[in-house]
Amino acid sequence: MAKDSNFSFDASTDFAAIEQRLGVSRRTFLKFCTGVAASFGLGTKAAFAMAEAIANPAKRPPVIWLHGQECTGPTESLLRSEQPTFEHLILDLISLDYHQTLDAGAGHRVEAVKREAMEKYKGKYLLVVEGAIPLAQNGIFCKIGGQTMMDATREAAENAAAIVAFGSCASWGGVQSAAPNPTGATGAPQFLKGKTVVTIPGCPPNPANFLGTVLYFVTYGKLPPIDDKGRPKWAYSRLIHENCYRRPHFDAGRFATQFGDEGHRQGWCLYKLGCKGPETYNNCPSLEYNNVGGGVWPIGVGHPCFGCSEQGTGFNKPMFSLAEVKTHTPPNAFPNIADRQNPTSSTVVAAAAVAGAAVGAFLGATAVAGKKLDGKQAEASQSADKGA
Amino acid sequence: MSRLIVGPFNRVEGDLEVILDVTDGRVRAARVRSSLYRGFEQILQGKAPPDALVFVPRICGICSVSQSAAAARALAGAMGIAPPANGRLVANLIQAVENVADHVTHFYLFFMPDFARPCYESQPWWRAAAGRFTAVRGAAAGDFLPARAGLMRSMGLLAGKWPHTLTLQPGGSTHPVNASGRLRLLRVLREFRQFLERVLFGDALEAVAAIASSDELARWAERHAESDFGLFLRAARALNLRALGQAGVAFMSYGAYEQENGRWWPAGIWSGGARPLDPARIAEDVSHAWYADATEPLPPSRGSTLPIADKDAAYSWCKAPRLGGEAVETGALARQLVAGHPLVRDMIEREGGGVEARVVARLLEVARLLPAMEHWAEALRPGEPFSVTGELPAEAECAGLVEAARGSLGHWLNIRRGRIHNYQIIAPTTWNFSPRDRVGQPGALERALVDVPVGEGEKSPVAVQHVVRSFDPCMVCTVH
Repeated sequence: MAKDSNFSFDASTDFAAIEQRLGVSRRTFLKFCTGVAASFGLGTKAAFAMAEAIANPAKRPPVIWLHGQECTGPTESLLRSEQPTFEHLILDLISLDYHQTLDAGAGHRVEAVKREAMEKYKGKYLLVVEGAIPLAQNGIFCKIGGQTMMDATREAAENAAAIVAFGSCASWGGVQSAAPNPTGATGAPQFLKGKTVVTIPGCPPNPANFLGTVLYFVTYGKLPPIDDKGRPKWAYSRLIHENCYRRPHFDAGRFATQFGDEGHRQGWCLYKLGCKGPETYNNCPSLEYNNVGGGVWPIGVGHPCFGCSEQGTGFNKPMFSLAEVKTHTPPNAFPNIADRQNPTSSTVVAAAAVAGAAVGAFLGATAVAGKKLDGKQAEASQSADKGA
Repeated sequence: MSRLIVGPFNRVEGDLEVILDVTDGRVRAARVRSSLYRGFEQILQGKAPPDALVFVPRICGICSVSQSAAAARALAGAMGIAPPANGRLVANLIQAVENVADHVTHFYLFFMPDFARPCYESQPWWRAAAGRFTAVRGAAAGDFLPARAGLMRSMGLLAGKWPHTLTLQPGGSTHPVNASGRLRLLRVLREFRQFLERVLFGDALEAVAAIASSDELARWAERHAESDFGLFLRAARALNLRALGQAGVAFMSYGAYEQENGRWWPAGIWSGGARPLDPARIAEDVSHAWYADATEPLPPSRGSTLPIADKDAAYSWCKAPRLGGEAVETGALARQLVAGHPLVRDMIEREGGGVEARVVARLLEVARLLPAMEHWAEALRPGEPFSVTGELPAEAECAGLVEAARGSLGHWLNIRRGRIHNYQIIAPTTWNFSPRDRVGQPGALERALVDVPVGEGEKSPVAVQHVVRSFDPCMVCTVH
């Protein structure tokens, strides 16, 4: 085949070697590359370019991986992924010169290795930050080898070719930045002002979003297009709500109101259980988790999304509070979350009477909505058995 | 005397340093420092009680399910509810998957690579160990990581994602497993059983679980020298890891795996014999930790966590929990001792509980758990409820005591006016890696390190590495 065709490879592309290195067939490998390219909105040509980049080990970028305030969840989620086993691909795709959890050596020897790598690959290495950076009291809340995470990050960022913040903690502070943020936990982009930081938020983040970004970097030598929060557009440009498989129930006004109630067992929308899918940008509904397929992701197993990847939502808004729907506002007649425990019961009505006329009027509306739903419920329980 | 600072430790979850006073090639005193603080207990104050389930799993990426389980139990206690049979089984399964995965990960990725070090080059087993366990490049990781990823599919099937799930709720599980889900789950478990039986043990799990004495284990090791467990036992014998790293304190377990009538592995204390556990005797001392002092060690239900960076006697972010004033050791060894497994009791009675006993107890637990998990999965009844509902009271005080892979994990929850008034957590490694208390009594690891040999010129002494790693420390849980 001609070299400039969309479907050709460099003569040096050695698929037998790839099969051996990655432990997957050529077919699976190409399928994977095509899948990643497609999720970038790129065509077959890009898929082949990516395949070639993986096949050609000379292009492997050196990587320095820093851990701050975190739980190692992102690394853990990488290690459990597969297709072709991600950890294999990651370790193959990049040259991991420093990683605290996976390293062979111990102690200050490892820190020395980090310094050497930073010197040797000056201006060429990819810096991955996992975990938040605590700024309070000059960073004393997190030290590695006597150095604060603040200093370690600043030092490593100085000569990095590109910086990726992996996980919500590194992206915007994550769980420890929740009020009152005792340690002054901060994300890498906020700390490294003036530098471009690609963020892969999520708690844990989906390993595919990280891998796809790295793959793009390896293939094109630059980072993929990002939004104003540093998130790769290919992964974070849609609300979870837009692609949620329970969305038809939302539009039809069919809601679960308690774990284990009839609606919950029917697989109805979790909006009234506080689901933050309507205000969270992520691709969970299409990628799912743990590679088992068949609706395996948080909403798929019946609990609401709490917006783990969305700054200002995850760890900030209570789990059982209504989401701010970014696409369109639901009709006022939808019952309020505060009344989700049996809205027509006499205790709630009595409480409402004490609370005042405004709430009373709202409950009136609720009762009407409840009546309307009854008919639909009967219909639904006859036809719907999916998701239970 | 010379002073040696070992750390930061890698292949450890979180940040850890050990400060050693060394005289004549032996450790005379050890101080354990945890150098990361995030403030979960402060963050939880004032939040809505159900939100504890959003926060606590994030304490740790590898113990996240245990943290959820402890919080769910504390909330269920406050609500006065208990999950239905299906909910109980799912909770057991999710916790067991994490437990098994943690034990096997510890063995393959964190503990065994130390045997591949060049300092053991002269040992007859070194070549085999280096070939299999050299970090990142060893052949064992290639066997183990896909098997582990395969097992983690069960977390997907049961919990939606891993780490960090919201599936475990006070009333049970949010995910009603259907018949096909149960079938897929059983398949995942069967595949992992094959890995364990072919690669880790080279023998049927039931046969490993039935080893009843130290002598039987020695005979088993000879017959199964080719398996990874066999290789460990060979190296452990050669290096006398039984005697190494004994803490000499009592062992504690909160008890694990709910059954209809109590827990499969019961709660208790072991010090030469089994004793009942009274959680009311637990108190936390902060005399050597960077926190504001109380007048006396406080029980966690009344405990406080107020960091102060400037404190003369302090050297760690870890508090010093004590049971009736005593340090205790917790973990798989303690769990199996209290539960009365004959092999573990025999090992302890003859030689005490050191590095080898800790590793053996972990793998024994794996061999016991997987058959139990298959049984629990078969007992699931699709179509029947997985969750009950309940109301949270405006005022409540409740504890959630569970066993994580690394040992006893407790959450103490205090609700006032419908909000979290106080939330205190004592994690397994908080017990094991605690600093000294006000009477100068060291924690379990600090004791276990005394007398450990330090070779001439060794910067990170290999024996110290073995002892520290034998506890499978989880530093991110320790100080949350």
